[in-house]
Amino acid sequence: MYRISRLRFIFPIGLFICFFLDGSLSKLLGQLYFSYPYSMVSELALLWLVLAYFFEDDIQIPLTGFAILVGAVADLYYSGIWGLFIFLYPLMVWLTRVLAKNFNPSFLTSILIFFIVLAVFELLNYWAYLMIGVVSVGFADFIVDVLAPTLALNLVYFVILYWPISRLYRKTLAKEQR
Amino acid sequence: MRKFFSNRRLVLIVISLVAAFGLMGGSVTLRNNKSTPPLIQQFGNDIVGFANDVVAYPANWVGSIYSNYSNLLNTYQENKELKAQVAEIAQTKVRDQTLAKENKELKAELKMKSSMTDYELITAAVITRTPSAWQKQVVINKGQSSGIKKNMPVMSGGSLVGRVTEVNKTNSKVELLTDTSESANRFAIQITSGSKTVNGIITSYNSSTNELIMGEVTTKASLKKGAKVYTSGMGGVTPKGLYVGKVSRIGKDDYGLAKKVYIKPAADFNNLNIVSVAKTSN
Repeated sequence: MYRISRLRFIFPIGLFICFFLDGSLSKLLGQLYFSYPYSMVSELALLWLVLAYFFEDDIQIPLTGFAILVGAVADLYYSGIWGLFIFLYPLMVWLTRVLAKNFNPSFLTSILIFFIVLAVFELLNYWAYLMIGVVSVGFADFIVDVLAPTLALNLVYFVILYWPISRLYRKTLAKEQR
Repeated sequence: MRKFFSNRRLVLIVISLVAAFGLMGGSVTLRNNKSTPPLIQQFGNDIVGFANDVVAYPANWVGSIYSNYSNLLNTYQENKELKAQVAEIAQTKVRDQTLAKENKELKAELKMKSSMTDYELITAAVITRTPSAWQKQVVINKGQSSGIKKNMPVMSGGSLVGRVTEVNKTNSKVELLTDTSESANRFAIQITSGSKTVNGIITSYNSSTNELIMGEVTTKASLKKGAKVYTSGMGGVTPKGLYVGKVSRIGKDDYGLAKKVYIKPAADFNNLNIVSVAKTSN
């Protein structure tokens, strides 16, 4: 039960720390993340949402609701253009669910699912912004300069954060079982 | 496999698609036409801005410790070079003051109130940066309450870096010159070569070489590599004389009719901590 679990504090706080760290890391490590001509997009918030689905066990975190919330804040605060992330984040939660049903949960399948989710996320982001005229970059440039570095960066995040976050969830859930 | 597009799901998908693009189109139009975002959006941004400080403050603190350390390492070399420049700067500063005073007196004589070279700077700190490959945007910690308005030019380290695109009560968004959208870098600029002045606007940005491009230049005047580029004050919002960068090379456009001037910007867009917003007095 999410409502009586300790995760009802840990999950939202972690989500928003991840969300704000995305911006802060982009600012502090700007020279690394945005060295010409590459751009690496930090997606810690998405990572947190996907990992929460893998680790939640039978505590059903209302992921879709939180995804809409964090998407709304991303639209408002980071991009200033309404209507993209508010739909993209819940869509990615749904995609994770659909994909995860077909695999046995393990580190390798999780990283594979995260890889697919991330690629779809960046692709839809690119298409939507291309349609409304925010982006004027060709598709080949997008693949080489944005998608590949972004995937690389976020998979590094995944490898670093998988075990700490998994431990955090296991400890919290173990305490509740007692 | 279950039928994927069941009726309910299909309706939901269509509705969300329409809503998503409606919202996006609407907010882009709104952003282009209004000087401030809707009140709810401002309010939300201010609240999120406060919450962000909780995370950004320790993060920036760590960042400043690191940069202090790396600055310390090359202090000796830097000090030697700077000492050589200091004597020169004092002289330039005194001359600048004298000229500014004379300029003021002459303006008073002509009963002219102020011109495009009169501006004041509002200093602001960068809170965070949009984690996006497309929107090269930073959030600064000053807004309407400090007198910031939309479209004001933003400087950092003594040169132009971008312009204000969204103003809330206590924070605002700044679009950098490197942004991929088409309107981000349209600044009226001029280059002085010899006795001639060449006017134009920045037409695009080349991300692979980090160069701004001033297109459609038809002048016969020969522009030199290394000539300084600054804003011309035309258009009435951006003051005159904000430093942009130096001419790095000159090429022809695709049809060979006009020149393309490539400008190396002076600012480092990926390392912004303190910026100043230029506010014209008229």
